[in-house]
Amino acid sequence: MSIQNKLKRLKKHMAGPVSTEVLSHQSAIEKGNDKIIDHSEYWDKFGATPYFFEDDYCIIRKVEYPLDHMWGRRYRFSDVKEAVRRWQDTMAAHPLNAKDLDASQLLFFDTETTGLSGGAGNTIFMLGMSQIKEDHVLVNQFFLPGPGSEVALYHYFLNHVKELRNLVTYNGKSFDWPQVKTRHTLIRDYVPSLPEFGHFDLLHGARRLWKESLPAVKLSVVEKEILGVNRIHDTPGYLAPMLYFQYCNEGDPSLLEGVFQHNEWDVLSLITLYTHMSTLVQGKGIATERETFEAARWFEALNEHDRAIAFYNEVLATGTSLQHQSKKSLASLYKKQNKIDVSVRYWQELIQENHLDEEPAIELSKYYEHAQKDYEKALDFAVQGFTIWKGKKRLVKRKEEQERLAFAKRIERLEQRINQYS
Amino acid sequence: MFQKKSIQQVMDVLREPDMSKQIVHWKTIEPREAVSVPIPESLHSNIQSALKKRGISSLYIHQLSAYEIALRQESFVAVTPTASGKTLCYNLPVLQEVANNPEARALYLFPTKALAQDQKSEINELIDEMGLEIKSYTYDGDTPANIRQVVRKAGNIVMTNPDMLHAAVLPHHTKWVALFENLKYVVIDELHTYRGVFGSHVANVIRRLKRICNFYGSDPIFICTSATIANPKELAEQLTGNPMTLINNNGAPAGRKHFLFYNPPVVNKPLNVRRSATLEARNLAKLFLENHIQTIVFARSRVRVEILLTYLQELVKKEFGTKSIQGYRGGYLPKQRRAIEKGLRNGDVMGVVSTNALELGVDIGQLHACILTGYPGSIASAWQQAGRAGRRQDESVVILVASSSPLDQYVIQNPDYFFERSPESARMNPDNLIILVDHLKCAAYELPFQENEKFGDQEIEDVLEFLVDEQVLHKRGKHFYWMNDSFPAHNISLRSASQENVIIIDQSNVADVKVIGEMDRFSSMTLLHEEAIYLHQGTQYQVEKLDYEEKKAYVREVDVDYFTDANLAVTLNVLEVDKETKNEQNAKAYGDVMVVAKATIFKKIKFETHDNIGSGPIHLPEEELHTSATWLTFHNENLSEEKLEAGLLGIAHVLRHVAPLFVMCDANDLHVVPQVKAVHNQQPTIFIYDRYPGGIGLSEKVYGSWDNVLDQALSMIEKCPCEKGCPSCTGTLEEGSNSKALAVKLIAQIKGVPHHVDSK
Repeated sequence: MSIQNKLKRLKKHMAGPVSTEVLSHQSAIEKGNDKIIDHSEYWDKFGATPYFFEDDYCIIRKVEYPLDHMWGRRYRFSDVKEAVRRWQDTMAAHPLNAKDLDASQLLFFDTETTGLSGGAGNTIFMLGMSQIKEDHVLVNQFFLPGPGSEVALYHYFLNHVKELRNLVTYNGKSFDWPQVKTRHTLIRDYVPSLPEFGHFDLLHGARRLWKESLPAVKLSVVEKEILGVNRIHDTPGYLAPMLYFQYCNEGDPSLLEGVFQHNEWDVLSLITLYTHMSTLVQGKGIATERETFEAARWFEALNEHDRAIAFYNEVLATGTSLQHQSKKSLASLYKKQNKIDVSVRYWQELIQENHLDEEPAIELSKYYEHAQKDYEKALDFAVQGFTIWKGKKRLVKRKEEQERLAFAKRIERLEQRINQYS
Repeated sequence: MFQKKSIQQVMDVLREPDMSKQIVHWKTIEPREAVSVPIPESLHSNIQSALKKRGISSLYIHQLSAYEIALRQESFVAVTPTASGKTLCYNLPVLQEVANNPEARALYLFPTKALAQDQKSEINELIDEMGLEIKSYTYDGDTPANIRQVVRKAGNIVMTNPDMLHAAVLPHHTKWVALFENLKYVVIDELHTYRGVFGSHVANVIRRLKRICNFYGSDPIFICTSATIANPKELAEQLTGNPMTLINNNGAPAGRKHFLFYNPPVVNKPLNVRRSATLEARNLAKLFLENHIQTIVFARSRVRVEILLTYLQELVKKEFGTKSIQGYRGGYLPKQRRAIEKGLRNGDVMGVVSTNALELGVDIGQLHACILTGYPGSIASAWQQAGRAGRRQDESVVILVASSSPLDQYVIQNPDYFFERSPESARMNPDNLIILVDHLKCAAYELPFQENEKFGDQEIEDVLEFLVDEQVLHKRGKHFYWMNDSFPAHNISLRSASQENVIIIDQSNVADVKVIGEMDRFSSMTLLHEEAIYLHQGTQYQVEKLDYEEKKAYVREVDVDYFTDANLAVTLNVLEVDKETKNEQNAKAYGDVMVVAKATIFKKIKFETHDNIGSGPIHLPEEELHTSATWLTFHNENLSEEKLEAGLLGIAHVLRHVAPLFVMCDANDLHVVPQVKAVHNQQPTIFIYDRYPGGIGLSEKVYGSWDNVLDQALSMIEKCPCEKGCPSCTGTLEEGSNSKALAVKLIAQIKGVPHHVDSK
């Protein structure tokens, strides 16, 4: 049996469904690989130019937007300048802090790839980025006209974008950048080495701020729900690999128009998203109660206590549903700042306001035991906490037992103390 | 008062007339002295002192050979019996290299995760004594994410398994630059396990590995170690694609070993039926266990393991409690297995009943006695299992208990066959088209192919073009590029042709539903069908629901006095004939076939008596298998269809045992199917096919030696002492038929030799 026949017959024993099969009905077009580029007319009309390197080339597309262009409901592109400027006045450590930077130094970056697997066979076919220029916003897209042209692509990328220390991405830390490193490793003998890079990954912050309020923190959702960006006729990102494969087989670059568009919108939204997130954590602009609260928690996690306290106080002053939580956090923060009196006041308020949380009672019990040596009072609060705790339903068995033991131990110890001193 | 006997005293019991009349052969293998040589001067001084600190003042001769050959930059394969210090064969050259060059890297491949973990602790003890900064790590599914990065960047010695190399290392080779640029040695332990489909897959994984090494500019030396097989050098060369030097000058000492062939007494003379090997093995095991002699009992199937386990746990319950006798087989969860291995080493576990899962070099220490319940199917396998008993100093005993099967009876009556003949060759076929295509996908994912590039020694242009047509690859200029959004390695399993396993879920306790094991899909048709009794660690479970789509079997604990046995109906279609020879009497052919298998009914069989006490239908979809086969067709001139069928069944019964002997493979790798009227030519035909999709070259080998195979079958039937056919030759049919005579007559007819036997 011939190899070809055998292959056809054995096909169904072979692993894996091929997800591009839906697009496989049209035949490939023969194409040469000369100095002249394929479809130059189309690229020309599309505003894209070739960049030649040795025998190969890649495609460069540039798009400009005016600085005062509104992107979404809230911001103009130029607002990012103000957000970056405000960082210059703050001393706070924060992952979004762009101190000593100018807005024009930020590089808003996103890639389009042939898959999500993150291995050596996953190719980046488009590197997209946007930047704030003197009087406009510039979008740059570097496109791989076919597999095998990566040397030209990265040669251009690494020679023309020398400064990669201030990338702003969405999930770039674990996806886009490792992918760039993988591609670079494969051709590292032919292109300049990768420069040092630094990173503002907005996914991390978006998770902190909106995980509770959004069904998913994908860029497309955040962009629509938070920034008010409404895309019309967008090509969803998951179609990009298949469209690229179809383009490779059929040679028709117009198939990719939607992907260029999608990538362009992505890197523009990153500008606005960075602007908005910075503005929120800087305490400017209009924030929801939840956003203010999450900003406070973010600072608390970063050990920026003063800022966390300010944001929690903001929630107390204006909020409705997160006051209990905020008060608890404030009490704990003040305790860390050695302002235990304030903490005690909050705990007492908390006990009076809410009868379902045993933690303030435990805190007060500790306070009276260790700071005041008032064991009677400490015991009162311990027992009160235990009563509240017993009234609650718990899901995790193991934890329940631990907590019960902790209560029992505390109460026993306090009773002993009382006996000793009476 | 019961006095415990020593192993010598137990052997005296075996010499008593009652026992000794069943022992048809008693072979004593004399002890062997060590052949030692001084530690070579050239060895790095830190390694020398580390060896001394561990009490090693000299090397066995084969360890020195290994060291010297590696230093000459040659790849080699060392054939090493159990407990002969094989690890130094690779650890010495590797540590020497790393001690002199801290950047050097070595990759160790073990067939299982457990073996890698054993070896890591062993080499780390040596490294600690050396006092040098050498880092060795295991890299497997359990390695935490934060450690993985350290292993990739800084591990001098990375210990992993082929599955991990295939799915986690090679596809991400850009994260392993430090390893691939500096790779000096690839160590492949337990080489003999890389045969059949698994070996064919791994040979392709190694082709991919070498392709990536070449990309990063390294060219590692391959070191293999193997148990005794006939063709270690050939197998190592097939697996690695490198020329190999063979090391087989074993210099390790061994104690005296007694190898006994035990044939159970005949209980039914006319049918030549013997007492069940399982029951006899139980009694023999009891003899050792009650004298506190650590014993391993091998059984041929999972079900047998569980049955024996139930028997033995019952027997010794009073003396040590059931925990001291454990089962061990694939399908137990790793944690459970580790606990059993440890128990064997420290003596908490007195006896273990195992499938061939314990043939591998899992460290369980050396036991005193070993019982093989039935011939394991190959000489190599039998020696591997026998190697579990035997210490460097003490005497040990191995007993092979024969079953009534023709193969067992042949072996036990021809001890020379076993003791004089070299063990089997391990076969693989890396160029099996399905396997090759699978790995070409992975390889293309890892690095683009160039026009005219070979894969190993294989021309692959045709396959690459096929993959372009399938739109998996894209050809641009002179290169073939991966052009798909999937991750090919994830869809390809090295272990089995059927891709996914069935998970076994115990729902006896509604509040604590848990997974207790898993099984490959093909086996699940006959072992996990609804109402099947599934045995796990001696506990019986009944399958309540088999969700074949979702690959889940729901079981509940039961207590019944029977086990189940399922029938598999098989049909065969010839797709294409590749080779054919004809003469007046018969036609022999080789080619491609499609096998359709369907589980039909199951029987309930009572424990102890093995009576059939009920049956039921099985409702499961068919499984298809495209493979290669050889078949023998002949003209039937004068036999009724009924007699023809009886004769064919008889011949097939013998061939099932003779054919694997000829091509030296496991009986499970080749299937024999007789048909009175084959679908493709309406003639009486006997098919022998490879059990794996695409075939692995076994039936092709049978095609070349049909005449020989038939001669052997004939002689086996004629030599059998039974009257009308018995389980040891042509099998048993209904009352009255004489399958023996019919089979002899048919073979004569096929061969064209006049042969007169009365078929009444």
